[in-house]
Amino acid sequence: MVDILNQLLGGFATAGTPINLLWALAGCALGTAIGVLPGLGPAVTIAMLLPITGQVEPTASMIFFAGIYYGAMYGGSTTSILLNTPGETGTMVTALEGFKMAKHGRAGAALATSAIGSFVAGTIVTILVTLFAPVLAKFAVQLGPPEYFCLMLLAFTTVSAVLGKSTLRGMTALFFGLALGLVGIDQITAQVRYTGGVMEFMDGVEVVLVAVGLFAVTEAFYNALYEGRSANEMNKLNKVHMTRTEWRRSWPAWLRGTAIGFPFGTIPAGGSEIPTFLSYAAERKLAKPAHQAEFGTVGAIEGVAGPEAANNAAVTATLVPLLTLGIPTSVTAAILLSALQNYGINAGPQLFQTSGDLVWALIASLYIGNVMLLVLNLPLVGLWVKLLKIPKPQLYAGILIFATVGVYGMRQSAFDLYLMYGLGLLGIVMRRYDFPTAPVIVGLILGPLAEAQMRNALSIGEGSWLVFVQRPMSATLLVVVVLVLVTPRLLAWHRRA
Amino acid sequence: MNPRPSPVSPPSVPAKPPVAGRCAGQLLVGVGALGVAAVLAYGATSISSEAGYAGVGPNFLPWVVSGALAICGGLLVFEALTGGYRRMETPSGAPRGDWHALAWVSAGVLLNATLITTIGFILSCALCFTLAVRGLRASEGKLSGNLRQTVIDAVTGMLIAAPVYWLFTKLLAVNLPGLSSTGWI
Repeated sequence: MVDILNQLLGGFATAGTPINLLWALAGCALGTAIGVLPGLGPAVTIAMLLPITGQVEPTASMIFFAGIYYGAMYGGSTTSILLNTPGETGTMVTALEGFKMAKHGRAGAALATSAIGSFVAGTIVTILVTLFAPVLAKFAVQLGPPEYFCLMLLAFTTVSAVLGKSTLRGMTALFFGLALGLVGIDQITAQVRYTGGVMEFMDGVEVVLVAVGLFAVTEAFYNALYEGRSANEMNKLNKVHMTRTEWRRSWPAWLRGTAIGFPFGTIPAGGSEIPTFLSYAAERKLAKPAHQAEFGTVGAIEGVAGPEAANNAAVTATLVPLLTLGIPTSVTAAILLSALQNYGINAGPQLFQTSGDLVWALIASLYIGNVMLLVLNLPLVGLWVKLLKIPKPQLYAGILIFATVGVYGMRQSAFDLYLMYGLGLLGIVMRRYDFPTAPVIVGLILGPLAEAQMRNALSIGEGSWLVFVQRPMSATLLVVVVLVLVTPRLLAWHRRA
Repeated sequence: MNPRPSPVSPPSVPAKPPVAGRCAGQLLVGVGALGVAAVLAYGATSISSEAGYAGVGPNFLPWVVSGALAICGGLLVFEALTGGYRRMETPSGAPRGDWHALAWVSAGVLLNATLITTIGFILSCALCFTLAVRGLRASEGKLSGNLRQTVIDAVTGMLIAAPVYWLFTKLLAVNLPGLSSTGWI
């Protein structure tokens, strides 16, 4: 305990240097901005900025990236409330009630409860991360390749089978991502796979390229192709303020949302979609009868407060599996992992020992960043809303410039720009036919890692697949994987019968 | 991709999207997945299977992924032929694509890829910006393409691209191509 406190103080000392504070502020501000702007998420933004890892030292850039990551969550709620265009799945529920509140002249209260709720959840979860992550890392050191492989299998299953609407389309996306991950040199035997004689493919397909192509470029293409005539109405912003009743109705929802969000972020079953919906359902059920009528009509403040807290809690908690196991459970976490890889840092249980300074500075910066974001988002919200005035054509065309920086700056190859174009077209098809994109990214980055773990595990078992069921921990994980796959089907079948 | 009204659906249900067009597209996507699986399988035949202690070699996962994609593709084709994909969310936006607008944006990205090493980052990106804005504006049904507007767009593109170029090359030491070796353009 004292040990943790000392290390955390050390982290504050690192994160608190003027230059690192500036990076945190820049990250939070940029994160809020891209969160507010429709069409850009934290994952793409970090992906586009990955080339800076060549110049900026690891601690500073991780602080910067983390600032973007949760800054985008704050900014995203603003857009959901005012514009009813949720930037990502996590803020979908916020749009549900928040937009209705704003429509009935309570935009200020909705914005306040979402910003303060995010702050409360973010801070509580950061404390939990501080307490649990080192313990979990200590435990995770004992895990061998079979357990790791099963954990990754669990991450694959949940991200593709559980989160989307259709298991089939999720799985198709996942295996496509795994296929992309196969391109390049095999880690274990140095065998070249699927390069087709193209030199550029030797290093494999970069996750940055795929993320920028599938998200940023697709967004521009899709808007030109289908969304030109979709008009958005924007709600009026009024004073960001909550009455005493609104406070009283908000805080239990914040705490409940945090409690729901945290576990979902920590298990390799990430995504903030499920916890936000669960929190929404819980608030709707628990609301006083007098307030229940507000849900879906004039907008209930609990329906914003709970899911917002759950979203932020889950997002912050994804750092736990990322830092302690090296397993990303969201697209942004996957990009953060690839940032660490750029520095030659292997995320995993050893991270707390080998790069302790970096990890603790990152955790300390979460505390600092949450305070910064509260200031950036409450009094200054009017400033960010002005960003929504940028006309769509210029916005998306501008995004293409940044996409070029990220993709070309990665390894100075025009070939990658053509590849980015192709992925942009693929993204249109995926979006039009309702294929989820997250499994592609997670499959691409986790695929090669999982393959290495699987083959190492089989080496331990001297070629026998029984190694996965003979070890209690990995057998348990396999059972969980099966349960995750089978239970929803059984429930659906039961309901129909 | 020309969703004609389907002869199958009775005219009394206009709310449903044109089924025939959608299903043809869905079928194509499924076939595409099968195609990727086939390419993976073809590639896997030339990967060595030397296994070492593991019992599975570098060609193991390729075969697994290929097989799984083949199954997924097959099921997608099956779903497309039997009433369309299950639990589909209606895609956002217009039912019919504005291919003319997309062509402009595409041209921007592709020309950028082609020209970036010769005319440099700033000019190439400004060109991409100009073409993309033109396409996106056309998709909104607004007047686009007059000279004055184009000049304004090109200047805007330069005003975005130039600071980005300086920021990344000077401050962050990211290599981006320039027209000259001065480092300013």
